[in-house]
Amino acid sequence: MRKALILIMLLGLASMIYAQEKFTINGYVKDAQNGEELIGVTVLVQELRNGVISNPYGFYSITLEPGEYTISYSFIGYRTLTRKVVLDKDVVLNIELNEETTLLDEVVVTGESPEKNVVDIQMSVNEIDIRQVKKLPALFGEPDIIKTVQLLPGVISAGEGTSSFFVRGGSADQNLILIDEAPVYDPSHLFGLFSVFNSDIIKDSELYKGGIPSRFGGRLSSILDIRTRDGNNQEFEGDAGIGLLATGIALEGPLKKGSSSYIFSARRSYVDLFARAADNDNLVHFYDVNAKVNWRANNKNRFFLALYAGRDNFSFGDDFGFDWGNRTATFRWNHLFNDKLFSNTSLIASNFDYGLESRDPSQGFFWDSSIEEFSFKQDLNYFISPQFELDFGYHVTYRKFAPGNIRPTPESIFKGKDLAKEFALDHAIYVGAQHRISDKLTMTYGARLSIFQSIGEGKVFLYEDPQDNINPVRTDSLFFDSFESIKNYVNIEPRLAMRYILNPTSSVKLSYNRMVQNTHLISSGTVPVPFNTWAPSSYYLKPQKADQFAIGYFRNFDDNNYEFSVEAYYKTFNNVTDFADNAQIFFNEDIATEYRQGEAEAYGLEFLLKKNKGDLSGFVSYTWSKATRTVPGVNLSRTFDANHDRRHNFNAIATYDFNDKWTFGATFTYGTGKPTTIPSGSYQWGDGYIADIITDRNGYRLPAFHRLDLSATLRPRKNQGKKWETSWVFALYNAYSRKNPFALFTQVTQNRDGDIIGDGTQKEAKMIYLFPILPSITYNIKF
Amino acid sequence: MKVKMKYIKHFLFTLAIGLILISCDEVINLDIDDSEEQVVIEGLITNSDLNFIKVSRSRAFYASGPAEGIEDATVVVTDQNGTEFVFSHNPDNVEGFEGVYLAPPGFTGVIDHTYSMSVIAEGVEYNAQEKLLPVTSIDSLTVEYADLDPGDEEFEDFGVEEGELFEVIFFAQEPQDRVDHYLFKFYRNDSLVKDFPEDIYFSEDEFLGEEIDDLPIASYYLENDTVRVEMYSITREAFVFYADLFNLINGDGGMFSPPPANPRNNLSNGALGYFQVSAIDTETIIVKDPGD
Repeated sequence: MRKALILIMLLGLASMIYAQEKFTINGYVKDAQNGEELIGVTVLVQELRNGVISNPYGFYSITLEPGEYTISYSFIGYRTLTRKVVLDKDVVLNIELNEETTLLDEVVVTGESPEKNVVDIQMSVNEIDIRQVKKLPALFGEPDIIKTVQLLPGVISAGEGTSSFFVRGGSADQNLILIDEAPVYDPSHLFGLFSVFNSDIIKDSELYKGGIPSRFGGRLSSILDIRTRDGNNQEFEGDAGIGLLATGIALEGPLKKGSSSYIFSARRSYVDLFARAADNDNLVHFYDVNAKVNWRANNKNRFFLALYAGRDNFSFGDDFGFDWGNRTATFRWNHLFNDKLFSNTSLIASNFDYGLESRDPSQGFFWDSSIEEFSFKQDLNYFISPQFELDFGYHVTYRKFAPGNIRPTPESIFKGKDLAKEFALDHAIYVGAQHRISDKLTMTYGARLSIFQSIGEGKVFLYEDPQDNINPVRTDSLFFDSFESIKNYVNIEPRLAMRYILNPTSSVKLSYNRMVQNTHLISSGTVPVPFNTWAPSSYYLKPQKADQFAIGYFRNFDDNNYEFSVEAYYKTFNNVTDFADNAQIFFNEDIATEYRQGEAEAYGLEFLLKKNKGDLSGFVSYTWSKATRTVPGVNLSRTFDANHDRRHNFNAIATYDFNDKWTFGATFTYGTGKPTTIPSGSYQWGDGYIADIITDRNGYRLPAFHRLDLSATLRPRKNQGKKWETSWVFALYNAYSRKNPFALFTQVTQNRDGDIIGDGTQKEAKMIYLFPILPSITYNIKF
Repeated sequence: MKVKMKYIKHFLFTLAIGLILISCDEVINLDIDDSEEQVVIEGLITNSDLNFIKVSRSRAFYASGPAEGIEDATVVVTDQNGTEFVFSHNPDNVEGFEGVYLAPPGFTGVIDHTYSMSVIAEGVEYNAQEKLLPVTSIDSLTVEYADLDPGDEEFEDFGVEEGELFEVIFFAQEPQDRVDHYLFKFYRNDSLVKDFPEDIYFSEDEFLGEEIDDLPIASYYLENDTVRVEMYSITREAFVFYADLFNLINGDGGMFSPPPANPRNNLSNGALGYFQVSAIDTETIIVKDPGD
């Protein structure tokens, strides 16, 4: 297959080389009101019935033979703009689009052109419309993009109140979550009740589940690509909201009208302020801050600087406290080398750390752990012709993993200890061609070469038996100097996608991708917690790999009012990282003896019906899927259902603009119960301990999960002469108060106070459920 | 959320489980496919007169009452010189000791000696081997007023006023030049006490400094209580068993904590339980008001 790819690519190149003289139209497409660049605008040359789509920076370029052309720019929620162009030289055409209607203050903008569902070559991708997210009911009234991601077809939520999700049979650590290209290692506030993404600042977000373009790599199962807004470069704007749990503000405006702008947003929970006032010393709070400036020096050079910082703090009086947070920084330079060659250069830094503090005088300590990375990325977009585009680039990332340090307090019984740090260099060279072979058939093909190096400074222990996790016997240690290579892993990741248009309203798409993951989450539970650490592929840990095939049918109905798709996927995983039964994953110098890597398999069928236009919009999705794992040394090496194996998932979201004052929203979700491990007996041992006998991992199903949430947004009529607008969001979470299973555990039969009932020999199973019906109110003001 | 004597890694564990405190729970009835009964062995050989091996059967998850002892097993412990000690089943016919086999009179374990156990029950032989390691001695115990806030529910639980509830403080010197693993048991007037029924007090010394000072033991005490602390040396394998057992009985079923799994043990042929060999150091104190 690789040979065939090369051949097709050569043909594509050849068609360019032998072509006659051509000229190029290029420019940026932006929103006329606030100057925000628009991603994914369809730029169509009507004479050729062919076109391009604006790239993630709002840039487009088309190269054509001389002549007269009619070019239309269409983007849903915006009025389509048509321009006549006489092409006898290269032309720069920056376009401003106006929103479709000014009657309603907010229009449903899905960020998709009407036919994109059918025409776009990319399959297995879902765009998440942030404006819709804001209208949907949210837990404690805090709109959260991850909660909508969890409802998409092929995506399974790790459970209520978590920000973790599973994509097409992958585990929670196989999702690359990016904010302005910077990875966020733990997207959770309050252990996942909310994600760290403030919906006020999000411009565009996409979840890639399959057919992943070659410019992305590093995780097996998905890329959640969140891009923040640039800020209004026409006029100052402000937004403030106060919810049950958190309050936030967003400010934006031009630095220099039309050419540079800033946006700043901050959010903080405030429950602790009341607690403090009430003299309660159990304090919990989180905050996050986003700041971004961008500067268009000229049409050829644009600069962006985006920063994110967020943190959670828990403090339990004099006993203990802990905190965690992410910080990211992205500096980007977009440069046009010429009319056809667009360049994006990024410098990215990301840090995640957590700390734990015991304040007990005799058992006091600080414990911290972090992961830090710095990346340089050079991406190039070469718009060779309307038939052929080339993406290529080079990425390099340096990572430093500090799995844990313990520092005792002066009177503590504990002593200090540091786990060895690990370092890694990750290079990737990629190329991807988008080749419009005919009006009907388009292909993208490419590959990513991933060169991963586990590097010093470091020490590797050699073991008598590297899988003996009870009494690991070290036979030798290998020492490596700074930047000395400990282990190299080179992998080629082929990527392929095809789209064939059957008729103007339907198409068939196919894709294949291989993904490689060299950063592993050290977690043995189902849901990652903020004090999990990460580790690089290394002497013992091999890269995880996944191959995925997907095929889909895409169809639009009723003048593109409805989008329908059905996709089937089959995915196999190699060296998927798991841990031995009873693994000690925290602060273990011999953690290498706990690693168990094995195989996994996942397949499924996803249906999605989406309505974009009109007063009523939303989607309905149904997924049938299966995911299993077979890992030597886990569950006696027998195949078991993955933690995220759920047969049926049905989700529906809808928003309805009733009139210009009221908007209603609803979400419904249903999922087969998740697998869990239950005992097959019990025994008494020692001082009154009653232990379960475990035979089958994940051999039991919890009851099904289903929940309905409702919301209503009220926008009182604008007061004439007043400059601000206000809105109220009323929401009802878990409207029929279903007790949804969260986890299952067993204990000796106890009463509510934890006192044993009876003679202490009887066990019981308890199901934990989180939220009953929860009403909330949020007040927003826009000025 | 008072910090009591706690194994360091359980601070994280407590946090993860603590999350679930915001939740509600309800008893559900599991439809269990009960596995076949298995042999359970609880062996303890020490350098004192506390030497027994209990042989019983596992049972259905929802069963209750005392474990069913296996009374006709053959239980033999052999020391490293090859001397065999035949343990006899409940020689004094004490009620409730069915399945308990006691060492012959005069048997005590010797530090640094290795002991092998053989249990033949229902035609199957189960073996284990373990070394009796020296134990660090307890320096002293002291009594202090309970470090609680006025109005804390512990006063109500014990039915006393502030100033009438005490905690016992533990002192020891942890030898830094050898690897130790410990198990602790606490007694109030000869009854075992735990803060929670699922608590196990054990530690490795990897994170311990030399001075083990001012460490409060489990529970609170009243004046004139006789408090006894037992400190056991355990092997690395026994430490692993206790850590696994702790995770199994305190886990959340695999949501945040690892999925439940059978503890790793030193018994052959798939028997459940553990054959523990320990040196014990004991210290006793009678609680007196430190202000008097």
